Amino acid sequence: MKLLLAEDEVELSKALCVILKHSGYETDAAYDGQKALELALSNKYDVCVLDIMMPKMDGIEVLKNIRANDIETPVLLLTAKAQTDDKIAGLDAGADDYLTKPFNTGELLARLRAMTRRNEKKTEESGDIVYGNIKLDRTTLELSGPKASLRLAKQEFQLLDELIRNKKIETGKTARLIWGDEGKDDLVIIYISYLRKKLASSGSDMTISQDGGGFVLEE
Amino acid sequence: MYESGLERQGGSFYGESLILLEAAVTEVTTRIDIIRKFVQEKGFRDPIEHIKTRIKSEESMKEKLVRKGFEPTCENAISKVYDAAGVRVVCTFVDDVYKIAKLLESQQDIKIIEEKDYISNPKPSGYRSYHLIIAVPIHLPECIKYVNAEIQIRTIAMDCWASLEHEMRYKKDVPNAEIIAGELKRCADEIASTDITLQAIRDMIDSGGIGGKK
Repeated sequence: MKLLLAEDEVELSKALCVILKHSGYETDAAYDGQKALELALSNKYDVCVLDIMMPKMDGIEVLKNIRANDIETPVLLLTAKAQTDDKIAGLDAGADDYLTKPFNTGELLARLRAMTRRNEKKTEESGDIVYGNIKLDRTTLELSGPKASLRLAKQEFQLLDELIRNKKIETGKTARLIWGDEGKDDLVIIYISYLRKKLASSGSDMTISQDGGGFVLEE
Repeated sequence: MYESGLERQGGSFYGESLILLEAAVTEVTTRIDIIRKFVQEKGFRDPIEHIKTRIKSEESMKEKLVRKGFEPTCENAISKVYDAAGVRVVCTFVDDVYKIAKLLESQQDIKIIEEKDYISNPKPSGYRSYHLIIAVPIHLPECIKYVNAEIQIRTIAMDCWASLEHEMRYKKDVPNAEIIAGELKRCADEIASTDITLQAIRDMIDSGGIGGKK
């Protein structure tokens, strides 16, 4: 995950950089608005954190410029004071979220996770999943293999998606992931048996075998 | 049109060959009925939901012959195409289709002319069915004559789709024909998926529960 942090308080910026790096973000720091805009236009970030009060160009101007250049990267604004006007102007200028200083770093990280999660889903939802000799269409839930295509049920699709993504899944965890708290191991086992037959029917040579407390997808 | 009973159609066109075609249909139906009775006698469930038969109508037979570049004569109807006599076997589950096909194919005096597995390899329209073209021996007063017949074996779900699709195919010049064809294909793929799910549930019940080995 690439993150742009535009914050003119050098000490705060440095502290945040350490925390963000620790949380897995590759962070570029800018200490004024102009530098922030320059970086935002020349790099592809997954998320931007912009302070509003900055020298040379304020955060809202930076944001307007970013959006004017058709960059849809999620942006979180940092407002120095709890000023409603700033929040409204920021959100209207295209910000996805804001946080009032002083803030709790745990909350900042949670908000960043929420914003990137939304974006991740968006990019994932468009586009097919191609794996081995099968193709999965996210919008139609169609599974197509070399011989035939079939329409999967939502949970079958999710299960196959998990298998393709992780190659190996754990039964209990997968049950809760797909069916929520009511998820039972047996449901996963039943749906695995559906998927095995449907993969075969599509003409795919992929198999799902049992492996300890889970299942493995094999080509 | 396939009928549950035997309908006399195209009598004048087929002439005395109609006797052969009707005999072929009766012969195939009887053989399947015997399989069916034996399976149940052994304590297994009936793999067949119902059987329908038809003799191809004069009109569609002539159309087919002309389309294939043959003279529309009775002679050609018997020798050049294989589906003047037709039997449709509608099974309960997907596995039943293959079971019935295998049992028929293994009958020694039946000649297998062609088998087309449109279940493993569906047609672009989404059509799924197992087609078997055979020649069955018919005993005549002075000789044995092999008569061609087409057997279509499919599940209730496949039959449901095929019957409805056939009905809708009459109106070809509708607007959005491409979208409609795509939607019909989607239905076929959904039904096929459900068919497999039902088969898996059946297997689960037969093997005594979830994760049972069979």
